[in-house]
Amino acid sequence: MKFFDNLPAMDLMRSEKMTFVQLIIPFESAHRAISYLGELGLLQFRDLNDDKSPFQRTFVNQVKRCGEMSRKLRFFKDQINKAGLLPTTRPTLQPNIDLEELEIQLSEHESELIEMNTNGEKLRQAYNELLEFKMVLQKAGGFLVSAQSHTVAQDRELEETVYLNNHHIERTSLLEQEMQPGPSNQAGLRFISGIICKSKILRFERMLFRATRGNMFFNQAPAEEYVTDPVLAEKVEKTVFVVFFSGEQARTKILKICDAFGANCYPVPEDITTQRQITREVLSRLSELEATLDAGIHHRNKALTSILSHLKKWTVMVRKEKAVYDTLNMLNFDVTKKCLVGEGWCPIFAKHQIQEVLRRATIDSNSQVGIIFHIMDAVESPPTYFKTNKFTHAFQEIVDAYGVARYQEANPSVYTVITYPFLFAVMFGDWGHGICLLLGALILIARERRLGSQKLGSFMELAVGGRYVVLLMALFSIYCGLIYNEFFSVPFRMFGETAYKCRDPSCSDARTTGLIKYRDTYPFGVDPSWRGSRSELPFLNSLKMKMSILFGVAQMNLGILLSYFNARFFRSSLDIRYQFVPQMIFFNSLFGYLALLIVIKWCTGSQADLYHVMIYMFLSPTDDLGDNQLLWAQRPLQILLLLLAVIAVPWMLFPKPLILRKIHLERFQGRTYGLLGTSEMDLDVEPDSARQRHEEFNFSEVLVHQMIHAIEFVLGAVSNTASYLRLWALSLAHSELSTVFYEKVLLLAWGFDNILIRLAGLAVFAFATAFILLMMETLSAFLHALRLHWVEFMNKFYYADGYKFRPFSFSSLADEDD
Amino acid sequence: MGFLITSLIFIVAGVIGALLARICCNRGPSGNLFHLTLVITTTVCCWMMWAIVYLAQMNPLIVPILSEG
Repeated sequence: MKFFDNLPAMDLMRSEKMTFVQLIIPFESAHRAISYLGELGLLQFRDLNDDKSPFQRTFVNQVKRCGEMSRKLRFFKDQINKAGLLPTTRPTLQPNIDLEELEIQLSEHESELIEMNTNGEKLRQAYNELLEFKMVLQKAGGFLVSAQSHTVAQDRELEETVYLNNHHIERTSLLEQEMQPGPSNQAGLRFISGIICKSKILRFERMLFRATRGNMFFNQAPAEEYVTDPVLAEKVEKTVFVVFFSGEQARTKILKICDAFGANCYPVPEDITTQRQITREVLSRLSELEATLDAGIHHRNKALTSILSHLKKWTVMVRKEKAVYDTLNMLNFDVTKKCLVGEGWCPIFAKHQIQEVLRRATIDSNSQVGIIFHIMDAVESPPTYFKTNKFTHAFQEIVDAYGVARYQEANPSVYTVITYPFLFAVMFGDWGHGICLLLGALILIARERRLGSQKLGSFMELAVGGRYVVLLMALFSIYCGLIYNEFFSVPFRMFGETAYKCRDPSCSDARTTGLIKYRDTYPFGVDPSWRGSRSELPFLNSLKMKMSILFGVAQMNLGILLSYFNARFFRSSLDIRYQFVPQMIFFNSLFGYLALLIVIKWCTGSQADLYHVMIYMFLSPTDDLGDNQLLWAQRPLQILLLLLAVIAVPWMLFPKPLILRKIHLERFQGRTYGLLGTSEMDLDVEPDSARQRHEEFNFSEVLVHQMIHAIEFVLGAVSNTASYLRLWALSLAHSELSTVFYEKVLLLAWGFDNILIRLAGLAVFAFATAFILLMMETLSAFLHALRLHWVEFMNKFYYADGYKFRPFSFSSLADEDD
Repeated sequence: MGFLITSLIFIVAGVIGALLARICCNRGPSGNLFHLTLVITTTVCCWMMWAIVYLAQMNPLIVPILSEG
């Protein structure tokens, strides 16, 4: 045992030692100190103003200003996205600007941008109106001209409407010969011309017809160009119309209906020369407006580009400032109102770094008073901090997903790094699939830098984050695949000759009695002769079930052993004597014995029935074993093991609570006065850190807790061991799926001579392998290996009631946002 | 016989792995202990897997019975 004491502390095994610190910062250097600490990222601040609302805190104005600035920055980003600009050149290096200057610049830019936008809107609207006017002039002018060219005067009410086509103007003008010429010459016969959306034209016409009781004549023509509708911001088809009517009442009605349908009315002169003149004017103004619009857009884009080059830097700066002010809000003013007091956790190894940083902050802010940094005791448990690199980070995340380790308890991820991919591989074992996984993992690792800077969907992010897990899973899968002798379910004879041959040269009874083992065992893995034989499944099932039990017993023993090391570290001999020892005895006298029997049965080739042995060990331990005898003196041994297991159960249940109760009574029997003394503490010195520990011992609670723990262990021993049989189940499923796809898809398709059928078979095989075996089975085996770790392994020793160390760090801000 | 020899091969491979880890990534005593733990765990897992499959085939109770065709 001294050997373990002399070993250095292992890297990831227990949390870094943390210490509780207090900072007293003079006001002038506060902002700088906090931002330097943010750069360092090794101090977790405690919120001393927890009970205050956000509006009661000291620096609420600054936080509001930062919020305003980030709103403006988001507005710029929005505008840039809408304009479709991309960052082209590298951002120009500019001297660092102050926060106030940035604020002023941002508001200037914002007002400029808003002004440009409104101007652009107005211009665009005017442009649209002119465009519509031009179209109305063109089409309606056509109607009026043809109407005037005929001198037949007839006063007739037209009851049918005419549908104009671009190419059939002549036909309608023949019909219009009935109409009166020069409609405005006649008293009362006037017209209204305008433009309306094509989708509404039918209803519009019907409405007009009903409103004027048929006393109107309606002409329409589709406009040739598309107009951008300002409301919908998309191009719609419009139709030009002309309504001829008589009477003032009709006019008001028609105008109201035009309004309701959103039709824009434009006055068209009847005189053709005036028309032509106005058309020319409109065209010239249109081209002017186009030029102005273009210039406006160009100007705006230039402004946006100049903003874009600085946008990232500004965003980062504003985010940092907001974080600094949020942290400053966590600090308290001291009595003199000249200093800020902060408390927090930091790792012990970082103490010097932090002191260095604080010294630099004092110098940089030209403060007369230094920052005080000293270590305090804390009542609550420290946060847990593991220093991980990019390789161990993913495994630590997997363990943390179950629960963050208690401060300084053993970290299961030390072993999980290897056992997790290994148990995955036991369920996935196929070296062909393993090679595919390996390729995928290597691609992810090769592009890790590029993928790390991009923004990915949540699934890809998981895949990239777990690339080293996948790498290990692939390597172990290749190893297990070689052992199971499966390459896309095809066995290979790589490691020498098979150990089986026919009993006689004619192989007459190979299909009835089977082959015979004539040589030494196949040196590495499953003998290739088993594949395709009728007794393959019984053999493999027996092998894999026993293998699962052996792995289960091994991993659970490791878990119980880790609980011993935990108890040793926390110097709790109570836990060692009354929890570890009985647990070890109970578990190994039953399931360790089973594992031993399995190994002996394999070594001796005995025909003993292990189910029978185990069950009758409990039911009738004194019976003679007969054929099932595997060891010498097996019967007395089994009786002894059974007795040990039975003793172990109350051993892990009763002594610990009784002894705890005794210790508690002893400690507080002569110390009642001492308790009174400690209650009169000076609470003014540190108002925010509680120092009193309320000692309470509830015997029934402790006893029930211990009982639950003991029952969980005893019953869990059986159920957890059986749970490891999922290793068998999943590897069987994988192997069977693989066989089916190979034999029933690929071989079947290859049997035909047709190249198309062969290609189709290959394609189906590839898709089925990729989606079902590589994706679904990977996820399935991933999940089950995870469950085995989280439940069966970790509930032997892992309390997981700690909390994670979250230092104030600018680099973690970049991950949080967006 | 083959069992013992191959187990020795596994042990030798583990030792070589540990030496390689020490040569390639020497990160101080705590880091080295962590790498050693990883190498030992890997060796034990791989050896167990191989040993189980080997032992199961040493004295088989059933033999392959070829299927029709």
